[in-house]
Amino acid sequence: MVFSSIPFLFRFLPVFMILYFVAPRRMRNVILFLGSLFFYAWGEPVYVLLMLFSTLSDYLHGRLIGACKSRRVARGLLISSIVINLGLLGFFKYSDFLIGTVNRLLGSSIPLLKLPLPIGISFYTFQTMSYTIDCYRGEAKIQKNILDFGVFVTMFPQLIAGPIVKYRDVQDQLRQRKADIGAISYGCRRFVAGLAKKVLLANNLGLLWTEISGGNLENTTVLGAWLGVLAYAFQIYFDFSGYSDMAIGLGAIMGFHFPENFNYPYMAKSITDFWRRWHISLSGWFREYVYVPLGGNRRGLPRQLLNILIVWMLTGIWHGAGWNFLLWGLWFALWLILEKLVLGRMFKALPSLVGRLYTWLIVLVSWVFFAIENGPGALRYLSVMFGQGTAGLYDSPTLFILLEYRVLLIFAAIAATPLGHRLTESFFAVTGTGVTVVRRVLEKLVPALLLLASIAYIVEASYNPFLYFRF
Amino acid sequence: MKLENEKFHQGMTVAMLALMLLVLAAADMVKADRLFSETENRILAQKPELRLENIISGSYGEEYENYATDQFVSRDRWVALKTRMDILLQKKLIKGVYLGRDNYLIEQHLPGNYDQGKVNKRLDQLLGLTEQYPGIKVMLVPTSDNILEDKLPPHAVSFDQRGLLDQVKEKIGEEHVIDVFPILEEHREEEIYYRTDHHWTTLGAYYGYRHWTEAMNYPPRNFDPQDLVTVSDSFLGTLHSRLNLPMEADKIQIFPRTASRRIKAVYDFAKETTSYYEPSYLETKNQYGYFLDDNHAFIEIDTAYVAKDRELFLIKDSYANSLIPILAPHYEKIYVLDLRYYNGSLFSLMEKYVTSEKVDVLVVYNCIHFLEEFSYR
Repeated sequence: MVFSSIPFLFRFLPVFMILYFVAPRRMRNVILFLGSLFFYAWGEPVYVLLMLFSTLSDYLHGRLIGACKSRRVARGLLISSIVINLGLLGFFKYSDFLIGTVNRLLGSSIPLLKLPLPIGISFYTFQTMSYTIDCYRGEAKIQKNILDFGVFVTMFPQLIAGPIVKYRDVQDQLRQRKADIGAISYGCRRFVAGLAKKVLLANNLGLLWTEISGGNLENTTVLGAWLGVLAYAFQIYFDFSGYSDMAIGLGAIMGFHFPENFNYPYMAKSITDFWRRWHISLSGWFREYVYVPLGGNRRGLPRQLLNILIVWMLTGIWHGAGWNFLLWGLWFALWLILEKLVLGRMFKALPSLVGRLYTWLIVLVSWVFFAIENGPGALRYLSVMFGQGTAGLYDSPTLFILLEYRVLLIFAAIAATPLGHRLTESFFAVTGTGVTVVRRVLEKLVPALLLLASIAYIVEASYNPFLYFRF
Repeated sequence: MKLENEKFHQGMTVAMLALMLLVLAAADMVKADRLFSETENRILAQKPELRLENIISGSYGEEYENYATDQFVSRDRWVALKTRMDILLQKKLIKGVYLGRDNYLIEQHLPGNYDQGKVNKRLDQLLGLTEQYPGIKVMLVPTSDNILEDKLPPHAVSFDQRGLLDQVKEKIGEEHVIDVFPILEEHREEEIYYRTDHHWTTLGAYYGYRHWTEAMNYPPRNFDPQDLVTVSDSFLGTLHSRLNLPMEADKIQIFPRTASRRIKAVYDFAKETTSYYEPSYLETKNQYGYFLDDNHAFIEIDTAYVAKDRELFLIKDSYANSLIPILAPHYEKIYVLDLRYYNGSLFSLMEKYVTSEKVDVLVVYNCIHFLEEFSYR
């Protein structure tokens, strides 16, 4: 089930929330656990067993690590947990990719497994690994209650599209959490804001991207190619950050504090900066559990550059089992390394606009690799962007598309900056009865209108994709 | 004064949003399911069957989502709300319809949808017909996007129907083609297309007729656009249905002469009437059905004119429906065939009716219907 759907908004959510808040406190985790299983089983009726297996396995590993006195045995248990988690992930996500690669290299014809990817497996295996690793490091308390642990793994708000919540960030909230009316109200507004980002901005800009990418590249103009990838950049940002907002909002309603996942990434002044703002919970995970253990920046520059390369190859391949995703990661590694070596110092001396434009350029190019999964196709698209196409700079169809989407693009551009946020804050900082009245009205009217508008676009859903089926 | 009570207002916000969801959810539970959406002109998804194998395969979840979305309470109003928001976003193309100047709705026909292969297939069929009946005339009427170009939003592209017509001329010979492009362009400032519907108006058909008489070298009968009378001023056509926006309705007009004469029309060898017009349609959504009782596979018309035994065999789409009454004075009998509803062999039918030099054969389609639907066995 996805959040931006009628069954979720008008069946699951009301029923779940009523049960959750009517039930006595000690029953809430049971309801949250069962509700989450139902939520997951709706789309993945078979793979729900896989998720339960993963839960049980890491619960037991955690208990055993906690119980064992020997550091060596604990280490063995940790390795066992990681092998199981990565084994599951590898088997379900990467086996066909590996088989395909082997076949191509050796000319063999091992049949592909053609397993559908269990939704959210990349998210929940990373969450459970954070648990066992932290148990081993002594940074997390061992969870004795399997129900509470099950809630951590399966919790529906962040189950299928993140943020990736580290166990120790929520371990106390699993047992004891309090949502006062302030938190609930914040959660509701955050959820609606995320829904609107996904449904109003991402889906509609996705239409622009499909219109351009669905056409014949020979007829795609330079302007069209840039418009298309710009629309894709906005689509994936508002889709993904919208999902995170909805997850954080739903969590807040129940008293959870999930980590932030995005911080205006398109305002970044460098690629290093971009990755501090984009999918923060994933880059944070890799930093903590891969980059730092590999030595981070403590073992000299060459080692640091190698570490960057490794982490971003993994980041790339995490997003999907395909060469294009690997390439996508390597592309970022390249610029991160260049920034470490020279560019970083250079951009510091230049106006921040230069850094922003450079970041946009690198990121837009990266989205071409990301969105177009076959390499030659991506290269052809890039060549059209940079004027090597056959259709010229622009033509009437491109101008028509530009005119059709101009208002939406302006909205998207504004929504990608902190401008709206800052305006609201400075407006609300003004005191006086008149301002307060306006504020009281707006804080209700805006979410209500956004919700109504989102429902209309969901009901008339010519296009409402789920983008993370490859993650 | 509760203005400063933060908790109160937070509670209000939560209550309001929760209530919106709950009320809609409850209303959605009690409303009845529909089979068909009139406004969207399509069959709506129905409740999927709850079977174990569907649940395991995950298809139940998918089908249930389609069902819940299609049957969501007040779906039509949500769809209309979405359309309005699209308009607020300055969109000029919604569901394949351009919002043109002067309140014209103009159907979009993308060049990419009509590739040369498709065109060739239709041309070959047309050539086959021409070879069999060398006296045949073909009138392919452009749709409004090709004539009302100045009403289109800036940079809107359309499939080039002039180019299509040139190909037709080349393929079957210019002498067979009645090219109404120039005369329609000449009168583009007049009401020759409906604003809310994809058809040409009776006035448009009249100009088509004028050009036809010239091409046939027939003396034009005494029709005068001044004489047109309005039979309905509440016509909201197919393009309006797609958007379902409030807009000014079109008028349906006819030449009074065409209604005064008592004719005999036999629809599909069964239903018999005495007029080209069927007023009961004016009470329905499909007011264009007023002309010739909507669409029938075959109509045999006794025009009650004396015209030297001349007869017409007409192969047509719905564009011809408003033209037929104006053509009538030139013929004693008119046979009207709509290939979309006819499954038999075209040539064996024509053998029966096109028996002498006195029977003209005419093909009337709009260019788009021609490309999409013209085919016979």
